[in-house]
Order: sequence, then structure tokens, then C-alpha cells
Amino acid sequence: MERVAIEKKVLSENDRIAQALRLQFAECGTLVLNCISSPGSGKTSLLERTLEGFSPDTRVAVVTGDIQTDNDARRLARFGFPVRQITTAGACHLDARMVERSLHGWDLGRLDLLLIENVGNLVCPTSYDLGEESKIVVLSVTEGDDKPLKYPGAFAKSRLMVLNKIDLLPYVPFDMGAARRNARSIHSDIEIIETSCTTQSGVETWRRWIAGRMRAATQSPH
Amino acid sequence: MHEMGIANSVIDAVREEIARRPGARASKVGLRLGEWCGVDAESLRFCMEVLVKGTDLEPLALDIDFRPRGSELDIAYLELED
Repeated sequence: MERVAIEKKVLSENDRIAQALRLQFAECGTLVLNCISSPGSGKTSLLERTLEGFSPDTRVAVVTGDIQTDNDARRLARFGFPVRQITTAGACHLDARMVERSLHGWDLGRLDLLLIENVGNLVCPTSYDLGEESKIVVLSVTEGDDKPLKYPGAFAKSRLMVLNKIDLLPYVPFDMGAARRNARSIHSDIEIIETSCTTQSGVETWRRWIAGRMRAATQSPH
Repeated sequence: MHEMGIANSVIDAVREEIARRPGARASKVGLRLGEWCGVDAESLRFCMEVLVKGTDLEPLALDIDFRPRGSELDIAYLELED
């Protein structure tokens, strides 16, 4: 019997494509954000509020993933920016190749911001690097405040946690302090922004956060 | 949910390795699995069993080195018999 060291990432092919995308995004000065959450946390609503706040000359595009339907792409296309839908036909996550294909024909040199809305799922998308600059995890207050402990991967790998639907706090037993503590017990320096897409509370803070990342992306390419 | 795809990637890597070593057969594959890698060990074990069953790779033992608070998703080693 002989033991040979392999020392290879299981997703090395995905990682190879993701790394090539990351280089391309950096060269073009395109900030790419990969938004992850469970279904129904409000990713699409947050992106709607984000897009509607941009002036028409903002060089932003969206790629949105779902298992079926182009409902999200139709919702997001109303704001006049380029939007593409990836339907995964059963796959529970986006992978780097799907993103690479979805970008076909777009001139990244003319995009300052690419927002990727992953398939609603708090587990599988965390395994797949899409070449993004940051992952964003969205957690809504209608879910449990212990979700960061139950699904640590998404919180460990995200730069920012958006606590969404805060207008519903009076009606749900969600403990904001516990949610923050739980997230920080997994990822001590995760940034946190509280938003409501209904009242627009915190949406401006989120937009400023994106603007800050965009400045950082153009000033210090990888 | 995506463990079948992960299992497929592991099996592809195993086949790639034994193709380089004529006459060798794989008896065990060792994986490193971080708690935060997004893959469930038991589900992956089941998927591997299903994919190996009835093929020339059967039997293939699976050794999972679980890493608390880690993000690893690696193939660490392969055990071969001549």
C-alpha cells in the first residue's frame, strides 16, 4: 500500500476560473459583490433599492441567480441598468463558470460595479468563489437571530452582514444584540448594516458602503 | 445539496491520479473538510458511495479529516494498491 499526497482543492477548477475572473475584474476596475442569503431575506428588494438610488450614468450591472424563472431579472431591469438572469435548473448555487458565461458580451471596462445575487441558500454558495471582491450576507429579522451559529460558513466568509427588514422588529422575537454577537463570534470583524427596504432605513448607509468599496477597488487593484 | 457535485469532483481527481499510475488501484481517499466549507460530511459520504458503487473504483474508503472553524475543502491524499 502506498499513500500519495494529492493536496488539491476539490473545487480547484472553479477556483481557477474564479481567480481568472478576479484578475479581469481588478484590471477593469470593476467592484464585484456576491450577495448570499437564505430564500426570502430580501436580496432582490435590497438590490432594487440600491439600483433606484443610482443616477442613470452609474456604470452598474446585475447578475441574478435562481433555480427557475427570470422574475428577479425582470424586477431589477426596471431601473434601466443591464441585468442578466442565470437559471441554474436545479443547482443550489452559482459557480464561477456560470458567472463567466453570464458576462459574455459585456464590456467590463465600462462597468464600475457588478452586483451578483446568488441563489437563495445559506449553505452551498459559500463553497464557490465567483471572483468577487467581497461576499455580503443578508439576514432578515423574520429569521432566527441564531442563524450565524447555524450556518457559520456564510458569515465567516462575508465582509458585511446586512440585517434586513428591521421595520418588522416590533412584530418578531428577533434579538438584534444576539444576532450581532452571534455573527461576531463567527467572524470578529464582520461589518454590520441594518436596513429596511420598506422604510428605506439604512439603505443610504448601505449605498455609502458600496461607494467606499468602489473607491478602494479603483485605488488599490489586487 | 451540492454534495453530489463535490463527490463527482473528488472522483474525477481520483481517476486523474490513477490514470498517471498504470496498474494502481485506489483503496482510500483522504479529504480535509472545514466546518465552514458548506459541505455536509455524511451527505458527501453517501454521495461518494452512490457514485462508486458498481464501478471499477469500488470499494473506495473515505477518510474525512474534519476541521472545526476551518474552510478547507481539499483532497489530502490517496492510498494506492499495486
